[in-house]
Amino acid sequence: MTEAKEGDRADNTPPPQDRVEGLIARVSLGERAALAELYDLTSAKLYAVSLRVLRERQSAEDAMHDTCVKIWKNAGRYRVTGHSPMTWLITIARNTAIDRLRARRSHAHVGDYEDTLAAPGQTPEQATIAASDARRIVACLDTLPEDRRAAITGAYLDGQSYAELAEAAKVPLNTMRTWLRRGLIALRECMDR
Amino acid sequence: MTQSHDDDEMLAAELALGLLEGDERDRVQRRAATDPGFAGLVRGWETRLSTMADLPPVTAPFSVKAALMADLFPETVKPPIWKRLGVWQALTGGAVAVALVLVLTLTPLRGPNTTGPLYTAEITSDIGDFRVVAVVDKSRQEVILTRTLGGAPEGRILQVWAHGPDEPAQSVGLWPAGESIRLPLPPDIAAVRGTLTLGVSEEPPGGSLTGSPSGRVFGTVDIANVIGAG
Repeated sequence: MTEAKEGDRADNTPPPQDRVEGLIARVSLGERAALAELYDLTSAKLYAVSLRVLRERQSAEDAMHDTCVKIWKNAGRYRVTGHSPMTWLITIARNTAIDRLRARRSHAHVGDYEDTLAAPGQTPEQATIAASDARRIVACLDTLPEDRRAAITGAYLDGQSYAELAEAAKVPLNTMRTWLRRGLIALRECMDR
Repeated sequence: MTQSHDDDEMLAAELALGLLEGDERDRVQRRAATDPGFAGLVRGWETRLSTMADLPPVTAPFSVKAALMADLFPETVKPPIWKRLGVWQALTGGAVAVALVLVLTLTPLRGPNTTGPLYTAEITSDIGDFRVVAVVDKSRQEVILTRTLGGAPEGRILQVWAHGPDEPAQSVGLWPAGESIRLPLPPDIAAVRGTLTLGVSEEPPGGSLTGSPSGRVFGTVDIANVIGAG
């Protein structure tokens, strides 16, 4: 298989940080060609995030569109945020996908989900993790009790609210809040070590 | 580590995770926009958590890029409002401010007892020596400004200006000192619907004597789709 098709895993080399940063700077000045280049360089990473969160192609494509519009409009804020370039882009992609997921949940009937296609290979279980940082958070998540790990990933990647997390785990809301907070403190300690 | 620091850490994490709701979310978001220390905590959590979304790349269909480009760059692009107005242009000597707007929250997803939306924007000088982050809080009809770079020259103060589409700039208030200031929006400005333009100039102590910006205008920003008062 030599031809890149839609939905294929693309080249797994992370986009070079200084190049992404330079492109964001040019996008902030309104340079259209820079946006096109930034898209080519990073869209496969951002589309992967949209697919993982939304688990359905059409929604993921729509979220991707919204993500890119935000990047175009807010590139000048990048420096203010103090993020590394890929962190900034991934955070926008994740937040945009979560917004769309929540909007869909609040409107959709249960039956609407039945016709949707599952995204290929994008469950956390199947995903091989890209960067060493990502391996580190996975390693740190693995040190947490299962219920706390599930709460953190449920909130971050599945956009679940405290109420939804509590219901899924069959515990009172305050218990969930405590689990999640303890989980986050342990996660921070592990990752900052 | 103190209790209150831990509390802030958890609030920052909850904001980054999207677990806060309603008024609490608005309040914490506002704090993240105005308190650099707290913003740093949020950034730390966004960074840690983002590694969970660092997944193997998947090629998006080309139609996504095509639709994006068509949507962002249609053939007819209207000139920005300040250019059509000429007001700021004259005052800035043709300087083009890099103007960026981020709408943090919009009302539609919330219930009937909601507060107004919060718009954040950044006013940046064209030569990069001045930056202000502005948060327009429609629930309180006020604007909160925070300097992140630069300020008024010695013996001068900052003054904040605003106008609606095709209206002259009017003073929102003086900013004599300090990193941040909170100013109530004048009724005319609170009533603006559509594009609200904010600007910051430097003026003599006591403010401009002319009723319009008289010193250097550092920059302006257009905030689109602002909802009017009440």
